[in-house]
Amino acid sequence: MTKQCRTLLATICLAMLPFGAYAQNKTIAIGYHAPLSGENAQYGVLFRNSATMAVENFNKSGRLPGVTVQLKFEDSKGDAKEGVNIARKFSDDQSIVAAIGDFSSGVSMAAGQVYAQTKLAQLSQTASHPDFVKISEYQFRNITTQAYEGPLIANWANSNGAKKIAIVAIQNDWGQSVVKYFADAVKANGGEVTETEMFNPGTRDFRSILTKIARSAPDVIYLGSFYEDGSAFLQQKLQLGLKQPVYATSSLYEQKLLDLAGPAANNLYLSTTFLVESPEPHVMAFVKEYETRYGGKPQMFAAQAFDATNIVLNAIVAAGGANATRAKVRDALAATKDFPGVTGVTTFDPKTREPSKVLAKLQIQNGKYVLVK
Amino acid sequence: MFDIFFVQQLVNGLSVGFIYALMAIGFTLIFGVLNVVNFAHGEVYMIGSYAGLLAITTMAPPLFVVILVALAAGALAGFSLERIAFRPFRRFRDEASLKSKAIREATLLSSLAISIIVRELAEKIFGSNMQSIPQEYLLLTPIQIGPLSFASGQFLIFGLSIVMLGGLQWLLKHTRVGLEIRAVANNPMGAAYVGINTERTIIATFIIGSTLGAVAGLVVGLYQGAIFPAMGFVPGVKAFVAMVMGGLSSIGGAVVCALILGVAEAVTTSFFAQGWGDLVAYAFLVITLIFFPTGLFGGGRDRV
Repeated sequence: MTKQCRTLLATICLAMLPFGAYAQNKTIAIGYHAPLSGENAQYGVLFRNSATMAVENFNKSGRLPGVTVQLKFEDSKGDAKEGVNIARKFSDDQSIVAAIGDFSSGVSMAAGQVYAQTKLAQLSQTASHPDFVKISEYQFRNITTQAYEGPLIANWANSNGAKKIAIVAIQNDWGQSVVKYFADAVKANGGEVTETEMFNPGTRDFRSILTKIARSAPDVIYLGSFYEDGSAFLQQKLQLGLKQPVYATSSLYEQKLLDLAGPAANNLYLSTTFLVESPEPHVMAFVKEYETRYGGKPQMFAAQAFDATNIVLNAIVAAGGANATRAKVRDALAATKDFPGVTGVTTFDPKTREPSKVLAKLQIQNGKYVLVK
Repeated sequence: MFDIFFVQQLVNGLSVGFIYALMAIGFTLIFGVLNVVNFAHGEVYMIGSYAGLLAITTMAPPLFVVILVALAAGALAGFSLERIAFRPFRRFRDEASLKSKAIREATLLSSLAISIIVRELAEKIFGSNMQSIPQEYLLLTPIQIGPLSFASGQFLIFGLSIVMLGGLQWLLKHTRVGLEIRAVANNPMGAAYVGINTERTIIATFIIGSTLGAVAGLVVGLYQGAIFPAMGFVPGVKAFVAMVMGGLSSIGGAVVCALILGVAEAVTTSFFAQGWGDLVAYAFLVITLIFFPTGLFGGGRDRV
């Protein structure tokens, strides 16, 4: 670098100094990291859409006069190493008061290790691993886990008169948690688990599992899987003539399930936090605006990100707006109570930082998801 | 334990076994002739089901027309596969190259490469999700015989296996093409010396084997309600195991071993858990190879 160049740079820097100090409009930033490339890129795009929409609406609303909230979005590529790098970058950026992300539990937890040290609050819209919020008091999530959903469905099935329940779940970490929390709740309610069947990922033929269940003669079947396995399971159950009603995890809430399984899906009971056809005005407004902005209805993950961003924005307001510090924002997040989101009313437990929500109960009737009480 | 549910479990197991058998027939035929594993057979199976599904969604013809479409797609896929992945490696006609392990492994890898490319292409074009199949085409109509439940697809798969196996035996034993195929399988050099057009015979083998694979894919896809790009992988592995257990070049042996695998999986699920099913199936493979190194139905060690 030549001498002139250096002088020029120094002058520019000096000239810019008073600018920041005297600016009337203060900028506060939220860091958001999610995969925008790689295998899970489609989810990162949904998150960016929703977060951008939430922040723009917030700035327009004038809830914090004189403060502009800025969204700093980084691509984590679904890679834990990238997540750590971004977490360091966000931690060094003093304008950032809270971070949101990442998509998967793995990346979220890797980044979480950094945030725990730099004391920056982190909220993930989707990380459901039990250990995520146990990293430090700086980790939050607004997605419910099986620890919450399992007992809820168990109570629902038990209150509908089911005593003997067979459980079928996919053989992975998540499936194990489905079985554990559900079975514990059924036993606590005085019910009986007749069979617990884990199936290998990639199984297409569920007939031997179904035959085994038929022998144990349960009142209902609880299914923990994704919608593709779920649709094959339901079709084969119908063909084998098993009459038991099926309760399922919220992961089966997909329009595609109705196409794939057809009439076999009828009478399936399940829960969800986000219902795209919800008659509630704030959900309808969100769905409509999302559709006009990005073309296409928002799915559950987009709604999760919208709520996550709004929860952080609320916390910034509660932490004093222009005077918000990282520590104050963390405390405000921990105090989140009855937040009216599009995925239901969310409250964070101040101690465990686990969310509780009101889950909507659904039943498939005549090829449609119908809200039931 | 040995009640009606056990009998139902045997039915389930046999129906799974017949699915593996359908796949194993074409697989073993191609192996028997070329003495190399065709890794792309699972993708031919997938192509057959997608071609059938496209016919269903665009024209909604009766089922036998859909099967004809899958047959045609399979023939085309088999021809192209041979052209791209196998023929380039037969340029070297001398005896040393014909017996060379390196050339054989190169073909093995080229078919693996084609299988990955085709699968990824299908994922890019159609998405990796399961395709929606119009309900009226699903072969899942329940048929109750006494206390046992069957599905319409199980009868079709059973019938198809019998027809394929019988038809193939007839073709191999009673037609000129069959005679040529057996000659090339037995000794390609010798077959060439007596004036058999080995190139044409190999193409014929690929076309026959692939049409069988494509129809199998379509029928199984409709029976399981699952058509997706990676659908050929699991049955492909099981068909390979059945082929090895059956003695590599014995088609009948592969079918019998496929049935053993299917029943073993279902019965294991019945007594333990589904996760143990695969373990038992592969344990059978290991035991077979230890006690019958040439497979249950394999001939002597005449191959190099």
